[in-house]
Formats: sequence, C-alpha cells, structure tokens
Amino acid sequence: MTKKIILITIAAVIVITAITGYVLWNKPYKDVKDADGVKITAVDLYNNFITDSAKAILLYTDKVVLVSGEIIQVNLNQQAQQIILIKTAVAGASVNCTMEEKIAGLELGDKITVKGICSGYISGDADMDLPGDVFLIRGYPSK
Amino acid sequence: MKKNIILVLVLFTVYINCKGQLYYTKNGRISFFSSALLEDIKADNNQVISIINTSTGDIQFSLLNNTFHFKKSLMEIHFNEDYMESSKYPKDSFKGKIKDPSKVNFTVDGSYPVVVSGELTIHGITNKVSNTGTIFINAGIITAASKFQIKLADYKINIPKIVKDNIAEFVDVTVSCVYDKKR
Repeated sequence: MTKKIILITIAAVIVITAITGYVLWNKPYKDVKDADGVKITAVDLYNNFITDSAKAILLYTDKVVLVSGEIIQVNLNQQAQQIILIKTAVAGASVNCTMEEKIAGLELGDKITVKGICSGYISGDADMDLPGDVFLIRGYPSK
Repeated sequence: MKKNIILVLVLFTVYINCKGQLYYTKNGRISFFSSALLEDIKADNNQVISIINTSTGDIQFSLLNNTFHFKKSLMEIHFNEDYMESSKYPKDSFKGKIKDPSKVNFTVDGSYPVVVSGELTIHGITNKVSNTGTIFINAGIITAASKFQIKLADYKINIPKIVKDNIAEFVDVTVSCVYDKKR
C-alpha cells in the first residue's frame, strides 16, 4: 500500500512538473493590444531620452506606451512589417514604430497614436550628423 | 587673394566628398541562430541602426538587445534577463572599416566581396574582429550582407550549467542592411 502511494506521488510530481514546464515554455507574449499604457507625444518621448536618458529608461523602456504625433514616413522592413516614423523636434530623428498589424491608407502628415512597447533609444553618430531614434516594437494603432 | 579662394574651394570640395557619402538605415536586420536540444534558438532584430561612409569605408552598427524577437516569449525573457543582462548592457555595437573601400564602386551595380575589421561590443565586452561580407549595389541601392559566428565565451555570456550541454558554444549571426543616402 505504501509503495503504491509513493508511486502515485512520484507520478503526480512528474505530471505536474511536465504540465508546468509545457505551460511556461508556451507562455504567450504580453498582450499589448489591450494593455493600458503611458500616453505621451513623440516629441516629449524623444526629448526625455536625449535629455535624461537614465530617467527615461526607468519610465518607458520595456513598458507599453501610447505615442502620438505626425507621420513622417511609412515603409516596410525586410520581414514585410510596417514601419511608421513619427516626427520629433529633432530633424532626422523619429520615434520608429514596428507594427504588428499593417494600417492601410496612411498619409505623410497624418496624426497618429501608436500603442507599443518602448525599447529605448539608440544614438546615431554626431560626427556624421545623424541623430538616433527611439524605438517602439509590437505596435498597434490606437484611438 | 585668388589663391585663397581656390584653397577654400578645394577644401570645401574635399569636405563635401568626405561628408557627403553617407548612407544609413535605422531598420536594418540582424538575426542569429543557435542549435539547441529542445528547440533551435532563432531571433530577428529589425531595428538596427547602421551607417556607411563610402568615401572612408567607415561602417557601424548598433542595436538594442530587447528588440530581438523570438518565437517563444520565454526564450526572449531568458535571453534578456539571464544571458545578455539587457538592463545592464542594453546595446550592442560594431564600429569598423571596410578594407580597401576603393575596390567597391558604389556607383556601379554589382556584388562586391569585402573584408570588414573593427571592434564588436556585446554584453559590455569589446573584441577586435574581422569578417567577410558582401556589398550589393542595385540601381543605386546599397545593401550590406554578412554571415559570421561569435563564440559566447568571448563575450562572457554565461550559460547556466543545467542547460550548458544543450546550447551551442557558437552562434551564427546574419546581417542584412539596405541603406538610404543621407541628404
């Protein structure tokens, strides 16, 4: 009887461990589309990163943000994901959004709000007069 | 006076030539692949900033670790938290030079094999590297491509003992960047 209980316990532990492992291994990505996020303009988000990077990293990096501003470029990356560049106060710099869903009919100069995860800022090259961008991934259109 | 004007014009032309041959992308692609026992580890990053100066051959790449996208979220979490320590070392970069950039005719369509040498910084560790690649010119569009391997130990990327036998010691890296001319 004791042997039977031990075997059942071992089997239960194995099954629970396997199920836990399977669930963790297949854990879905964070739901960005329906998540709440910090609302900010592209101009302010970019300025925050270039004026106080440490504070901006704490406030925005790896967090869901809703960035609004004017579209200055729309194109596709090499994996055919839509890239929307939102204007900042620095010429040649943008909030660079990689979209999960393509938005049809976008025109340059349109106002847009993109919800996505802020990855942070990469500086460009001052010697080459190329400013960096703030990057947003897993973007969705937001009203 | 006339000599001075000529000198200024020559210097200005040299300046324009050096400064004016810049090509860049802010959405270049870098992928990596590593075979593993349970499931191969593959990730793509399409938020790579890269700049080429076609006059000098200077070339650079920068990316944020947390923009690598994996098939499974757990892989992404382990990559950023356990292996790359992305909150401590958020950015990787390469800064180097194309050897003999004069061998690449950036105005003529073709495929030009190149050797690129420079400093690669990953996980806060900088190593001198030299790799081969190809510059493609097609209708004025410049594309840079390269495939190379990195050894995880060279960048002090520690693999926990429990999974050490399941993860390859080397990672295959693929670079593909399409450039725009800087105006």
